[in-house]
Amino acid sequence: MALVYRLLLRSLVTRARVLALSAIGLVGILIGLAIRASDLSAADRSLAITRDLVGGFGLNLVVPVTALVFASAAFGDPTDDRTMVYLWLTPIPRWRLVAAGWAAALSVAAPVAILPVTVAAAVAGAPGRLVAGTVAGALLATMGYTALFLGLGLLVRRALAWGLAYVLIWELAVARISKGAARLSISVYSRSVLSDVGQVVKPLNAAAVSTSLIVLGVTVVAAMALTTRTLTRADVA
Amino acid sequence: MTAAAVAPPALAPTGTTIAVDRVSKWLGPVVALSDVSFSIGPGVTALLGPNGAGKSTLLRILCGLTGASQGTVRVLGVDPRTDLALRGRLGLVAQQETLFEQLRAVDIVALSAGLHGVADSSGAARGALGLVDLDPDDSRPVRTYSKGMRQRVKVAAAVVHDPTVVVLDEPLEGLDPRQRVRMIELFVQLGAQGRTVLVSSHVLDEVERFGSQVLVLAKGRLAASGDFRAIRDLMDERPHRLRLRASDARRLAAALMAGGTVVGTHLESPESVLVDTVLAGAFRRALPQAAAAEGIRLLEVTPLDDDLDSVFRYLVDR
Repeated sequence: MALVYRLLLRSLVTRARVLALSAIGLVGILIGLAIRASDLSAADRSLAITRDLVGGFGLNLVVPVTALVFASAAFGDPTDDRTMVYLWLTPIPRWRLVAAGWAAALSVAAPVAILPVTVAAAVAGAPGRLVAGTVAGALLATMGYTALFLGLGLLVRRALAWGLAYVLIWELAVARISKGAARLSISVYSRSVLSDVGQVVKPLNAAAVSTSLIVLGVTVVAAMALTTRTLTRADVA
Repeated sequence: MTAAAVAPPALAPTGTTIAVDRVSKWLGPVVALSDVSFSIGPGVTALLGPNGAGKSTLLRILCGLTGASQGTVRVLGVDPRTDLALRGRLGLVAQQETLFEQLRAVDIVALSAGLHGVADSSGAARGALGLVDLDPDDSRPVRTYSKGMRQRVKVAAAVVHDPTVVVLDEPLEGLDPRQRVRMIELFVQLGAQGRTVLVSSHVLDEVERFGSQVLVLAKGRLAASGDFRAIRDLMDERPHRLRLRASDARRLAAALMAGGTVVGTHLESPESVLVDTVLAGAFRRALPQAAAAEGIRLLEVTPLDDDLDSVFRYLVDR
């Protein structure tokens, strides 16, 4: 598994991806600096950091997009360049290939997504507990999204477009207006963890932290199982 | 010789390692394979057919990379689509040229060894690269390699884990003549060691040099199977059309007709005649004799339908 992990990690880390996603993260840091320089009251500043900077920009944009780019490429790149055959035609159990793919995507997505969001919260003047909440929420969201998007690269050819459509339509629109849909939203659970750990105002349709952890854990396991099934049944060119 | 288009043709004398029974494959509306049956054992078997005949689809099915729409496939007694352990005993040279472009050849072959559970993957990689005359110490990434060198890296990666069954999809593409000879020697050697080696090609002469059993695939159907010499004889029996240029084409055609090796002629000009024969071997012997006997200068002999497609068409239609 370590061999597959290293191989996939090496192919995932391209200069273009890291620079483009880091640039988005840098925008977050600039927003953080702007919040710090503003003359907002302490309560308004806390709200701006929690709701707009970390919850809105970080957990709703930077984290899912970063996870999408790396996770969908983990198996999408080898499928597109037709090197998947060299991975597929090995006696390694499929779940181990999937686990290696997830670990590789997470290894690169986590620092690229979490670091700028955390730094942005810190430079905006977030207290320590809110910074901790940011790390926790962003980490759980990255884990959930990378697992979810891992199989997308195997299932569809334009994984980025499909993934962005999912984020924009489901996570940012449907899950906000529908309480039922919110039960199936990674964003809602990760923002719930952010508010709970950060001890700030809860988002709309928030869940308990224990529920959030369980649901995100189930999401990861279910997504990995589905990806394993997809990989097992894939027609490899 | 197993007759062409006889189903199911059986090739394997003993110890069947690959058994294909009435396999069909549809790719949407396209029938890629239709009711293909054969079995083969250890040794080299060539899979011959023109481009688009279904060779790569068949090889992908044998490796489990895609499933058959209908029929059953057994490789070493198990279903290649579902049996994970089999993949450790299979080696594939895939048709696509792509490799892990940023890696060195030795890294790619060692990776293949490692993924197949070879303990000393680095040592095995160096050995496999030696087999295909590539330098294991070459520090260049494979993206700088020529097509022929890439083919050899793929062959090394396919055999590095000492597989029982080796499947090679057009492995001689891009190789220079010297490397082709070397590679053919390697395949024959692998077969002689008791491995089942299945090599696809669309070039008749290549297959002849394997000195092997042959499966002929055309339009998704198994058109013929058997020893190469028998297939070659069968091909010689088909109607051939040739253009002869000679100092007196009319008299030469008459002499050939009288000799019985030609069944039809069409005079194009005083120096050019089209002739039809169904006895290619006898015609080749009779032509210079007839020209010499009549005192005619033979200027040029051009086979008009000796391309592979026409050969396959004949085998399929007969």
